[in-house]
Amino acid sequence: MKAVLSRLSLRCSGALSKAARGLVVLLLVGVPLSASAQALSLINGDSTQKVALGDLRDRADTSFTVFDPFQGRDVEMRGVSFRDFLIEHFGEVPPTLHFTAWDDYEVSLGGWDDPTWYLVTIEEGEPLTLRSRGPIRLVEREYTGRDVENLRDFNDWIWMIRSIEAQW
Amino acid sequence: MSTEPEKPPEPPVRWRSGRLFTWLSLSLMSFVGLMVLIVYEARWVYPEIQAYFSQTGSLTGQQLATRARGYVQRAQEELLVATSPLEVGNARHSLELAYGLFDVDIYRQKYACTAPSLALMDDIADLLDTEQIDPFDAAHALFVPVQCLTSIEMNQLDRRGMAINDFSSSTRRHNQVMTYSSVLIFALGLLFWVMHQRQLKRTERANAEKFAWMARAMRDPLTGIGNRSALYQDVARYSGRSMGLILVDIDFFKQYNDALGHPEGDRLLRRLATLLEDALGEEARLYRLGGDEFAALLPCPSDQALTQFCEALQVGLEAAQCPHPAHPDNKDLTLSIGGARFVADATSFAGAYAAADKALYQVKTAGRDGWQITASA
Repeated sequence: MKAVLSRLSLRCSGALSKAARGLVVLLLVGVPLSASAQALSLINGDSTQKVALGDLRDRADTSFTVFDPFQGRDVEMRGVSFRDFLIEHFGEVPPTLHFTAWDDYEVSLGGWDDPTWYLVTIEEGEPLTLRSRGPIRLVEREYTGRDVENLRDFNDWIWMIRSIEAQW
Repeated sequence: MSTEPEKPPEPPVRWRSGRLFTWLSLSLMSFVGLMVLIVYEARWVYPEIQAYFSQTGSLTGQQLATRARGYVQRAQEELLVATSPLEVGNARHSLELAYGLFDVDIYRQKYACTAPSLALMDDIADLLDTEQIDPFDAAHALFVPVQCLTSIEMNQLDRRGMAINDFSSSTRRHNQVMTYSSVLIFALGLLFWVMHQRQLKRTERANAEKFAWMARAMRDPLTGIGNRSALYQDVARYSGRSMGLILVDIDFFKQYNDALGHPEGDRLLRRLATLLEDALGEEARLYRLGGDEFAALLPCPSDQALTQFCEALQVGLEAAQCPHPAHPDNKDLTLSIGGARFVADATSFAGAYAAADKALYQVKTAGRDGWQITASA
């Protein structure tokens, strides 16, 4: 694998100047991320509200450490109470929410009037990205009685959230 | 004569009812146990089935590896046709999603190809960002993680298949255990029930024997009429009613026996019982109190009615013309009869008995062959 990459790198190296390379990096990385991970869409009937990811990160006022079964270790996470977030933006906790994720995952779930759920944007001091299953992730601050070896028990931990639609 | 009835001894039935209760309890416990077993097994099987099949067909039912491979392959497709930085950026986006779905602890732990594949994706991403790699070559290089993800998928499917096989075997074993246990418990329940039924029949038989024994204990074996105990029992049965008590004694019975022998004496006693029954009617209950002493208890509203009963008895005896070869007065069989009337209850009977006995004694002292009643106060 390394050999393949080394050969490929050599073939491409020197093709572009450093300045031009920098511009390309900006174009390559910036374009898709600006289109995807910079805002969370909140849909309530006909109205759609965009919440900037930066704002969400700034408002992440609660820090906690929880065992993340997907990472197999204790992780320090930072975010906002999801129930408070819903009340702030929808007036009350909707009975059902429809989530759309960046990986095309869609699901409708209820039971969000529960203080254990957090909308996490920062992990181990670093902002969540798509590759760390961000930029926004729903996580339970506390869970008991569930087998951390059985990842199916954590399907409600919704990753890469793109939009949240209230269903009344 | 004694005024207290002799109570017959009771058969020992208490230990029987104790065992009866035990068999019934064991039987019921067996059937309850069977129900508990069935409910437990049903509750065991359902969550297991749910764990394996509940998410089949949904996106979350797919493996993360499958979803990650989808995005790697999408990135490959996008890279193969990418002619602009925007299109390369789209491929990078797919690669990021693939990385996020691929970078799971369980894959890192169980599949050795995971860490190198993720490192390769990292490197390719960096090279794409710095345009140090041709998109076509990057797409080609991404076959390594695709291969890794495919092997993970196959392995996970095998593991899932094995888990389902294990579950199936386990379910089969459980079913066998369940079947044998159910049959065993059911058989035990039936056995206990049969034991219970047998015990029940034994108890019923014992009770029937007890009642028959008690009935025999109330009968005079020679004449078939009641004995002294039956008299006391019947007085209690007629409690509160106006009753007449007639005491009858055969005159010169000893001489009759001496002359004709005891078998003839016994025959005379049986004949007298029949004669009393015929003379006093169906309502009269008859008793042999011992030797040649008889008693009759019958509903009697007045002293006049009691007098009529005594007269009827006398008339019936004369009509029967029973010979008494040893009678000192050369007469046929004669009787001394005493009567009294009373309201039946436990305390008044003793007085009535004494009054009737006194009347009888007066007849005896007056020369026998007659009747007398003690008038009610």
